[in-house]
Amino acid sequence: MTDNIRKGTLLKTEEDMQKSILQFFQDAVEKKLFDAVMLPMKVPSGDSFAWIMIKDAAILKDAQPLAPIMPVNAATALKRYTRKGKGKFKIAALMKPCEIRATIELTKLNQVHLDDVTLFTYDCVGALPMQDYIADPEGVDGKFAKLLTDKNFNSKDVKPVCKICDKFSLSASDLHFAFSDKDILLISNSEKGEKLLTDLEWKADADLKKWQKYIDEKTNIRAKNKADTFKIVKGMAEGFDNLVETFSNCIGCHNCSSSCPICYCRQCYFDTSVAKPNSDVIMMRAEERGAASLPLDRIMFHTGRMAHMSLSCVSCGLCSDACPVNIPVAKIFSYVASQTQKTFGYSAGASVGDALPMKEYKLNELGELGKLVKSAEAQEGSNE
Amino acid sequence: MSNSIEQTLNDLLKYLLKSGKVSAVFSLRKINEGGSVDYGLITDIEKLVEIAPFHPLMPVNAGQLLGRFTPMKKPVAAVVRPCEYRAFVELAKREQGQMDNFLFITYSCGGVFKLKDNAEDKVKNKLDGYWKAVKNSEIPDDIRPTCKACEYIEPFDADIYVSLVGEENGKIYLNSEKAKNMLEDSEFNFKKDKFDPAILNELLKKRAVKKTELYASVDTSKTGLDGLIDIFGRCIGCHGCNAVCPICYCTLCDFESFNYDYNTPILEKELAEKGALRLPPDTLFFHLGRLSHMSFSCVGCGMCSDVCPALIPVAAVFKKTGEETAGMFAYVAGRKLDEDIPVMIYKEEEFPELGE
Repeated sequence: MTDNIRKGTLLKTEEDMQKSILQFFQDAVEKKLFDAVMLPMKVPSGDSFAWIMIKDAAILKDAQPLAPIMPVNAATALKRYTRKGKGKFKIAALMKPCEIRATIELTKLNQVHLDDVTLFTYDCVGALPMQDYIADPEGVDGKFAKLLTDKNFNSKDVKPVCKICDKFSLSASDLHFAFSDKDILLISNSEKGEKLLTDLEWKADADLKKWQKYIDEKTNIRAKNKADTFKIVKGMAEGFDNLVETFSNCIGCHNCSSSCPICYCRQCYFDTSVAKPNSDVIMMRAEERGAASLPLDRIMFHTGRMAHMSLSCVSCGLCSDACPVNIPVAKIFSYVASQTQKTFGYSAGASVGDALPMKEYKLNELGELGKLVKSAEAQEGSNE
Repeated sequence: MSNSIEQTLNDLLKYLLKSGKVSAVFSLRKINEGGSVDYGLITDIEKLVEIAPFHPLMPVNAGQLLGRFTPMKKPVAAVVRPCEYRAFVELAKREQGQMDNFLFITYSCGGVFKLKDNAEDKVKNKLDGYWKAVKNSEIPDDIRPTCKACEYIEPFDADIYVSLVGEENGKIYLNSEKAKNMLEDSEFNFKKDKFDPAILNELLKKRAVKKTELYASVDTSKTGLDGLIDIFGRCIGCHGCNAVCPICYCTLCDFESFNYDYNTPILEKELAEKGALRLPPDTLFFHLGRLSHMSFSCVGCGMCSDVCPALIPVAAVFKKTGEETAGMFAYVAGRKLDEDIPVMIYKEEEFPELGE
């Protein structure tokens, strides 16, 4: 991403931020820039939100662009619309930065196709816990509206994983709604995004400096929260005994995996018949130690999932929300992800152009392994 | 609960294991001070001290576990709740488990607490009150809603039955020839008479009232589809209800298969026709599909509600629907192994109006 594409334009501001952003999409659909828009909408019972792909202008007016909660990661929703490839509708999708990152990862994993899609994101104050919303929709709506008005990016009420998220602003979307003081700036962040602003004949002349400074300050606070939290989480995640204690309440429901946007496997290995051994194996396992804990291999499931998806983990926190026994899955995985991604100099969802570390092999990687291979080859050569 | 009945059961299991009449014991165990429990398959007599057979928590429906690892080639004594036993019977009917080689021990169950409450450390200080309620044939506070409404805690066909509800100290009954044969050489002096279910009546009367209340809370008979959307609208599609359901045994649920992976033109057609499309699609369809697939065999264990991140009263809806559908055939899920599941047999004289 080159900086010269990052141009800001001042959005016409309605009485509130939700309306301003919604108006943008309504106008864009009217001008036929998009055929449909994917936005959150309140469910009929009024106590949660769902992702709706909206074509009809009469329905679009009821959407709520900025949802206080994240019941489903937008990447999961977009996957179900675009998995089978290109269609004929032009789509706009607005989502939180972590959802953009998951979308980028799923694109690399061939589960999302972005040919028809223009991605929009915004400065995210964080998501409030879904179960709080179910219990008290009006109260949480009020709390969220205040976070937006105050541009409060360091709330104590958001999900634990949101408090330590330091990637809550500009991300790999095509366009970004930046919240600066009382204004909303629309920033183009890709060629696709820049073209859209041109098509709208909008002048990209807004000054981004003040906004950038504010976001940088808030990012630093969150980064510090993250460092402090990870110090504690390290003790919960590292070492076998600690892992066993951390996951001791796990009932093996796999809700964490089924709500994870990255875990896209239609059937997880740990749900196959291979992972459900017969009575001989179970009896043998019991006899080895005098007793076997059932279901078997609950820790192995979590370490297996870490190995499989932590390089792409975007720390959206849905795993923790879905855990029926309150295991801090998201913090654990977020910490492990920070370590595995650091190992490969990779940042999940940063750009479609960055290859997935496990999908490419560089000769200079893992030097000690290379040395071993060379010495084994030399050994073989001398034996001949 | 009196310690003596738990001790007697422990002695019984010890005897079975020591005498080689069973190779392992399957029971709930406490695994740490924090109140976590799991199911253990125990072969070492020394490890029997860890068991907590009547502890009011259900981390997994044991029927699901047992079904998965049968046929069991060595004899195992399994202590399970009545709804877990019934789930296993249903699985056996569906050829997903074999009951051979099991000595089933079940008991009059007072219900279980919600897993979330245990994770939040709210169960420990409720245990005394729980056991007092069981002794007095009352419904303990804060147990799963479906437990409050459960009317199926008789012995059914289980081999050994421990009577806890309404009992000062608890009693053990040998309910099958198998159990009597296994224990005939032992020094245990179990009651020779048959368990009299009349002792459950007082509790069952109270539970019947709770059941009426529970079913009224999810009654969509007047609201139809809109009512169902109100109940299931906040579903996040994690399918956790299905994953923990002992009856939902499919390795890959149809709703997770390619069948629901629509081609882009189909989605676009739907979008154009309706003006909007919820994503992921088929939220309500999934629940209706599951209702029609498994509600006949629903044992009302409440696992589905306990794991629902969106706090949907799944178990109430499924138990209610299950009883209504099964009731048309005078069928009770898991009551007896030799009762066929109604949808698996067709009788010519059934539903004559359909025949016409």
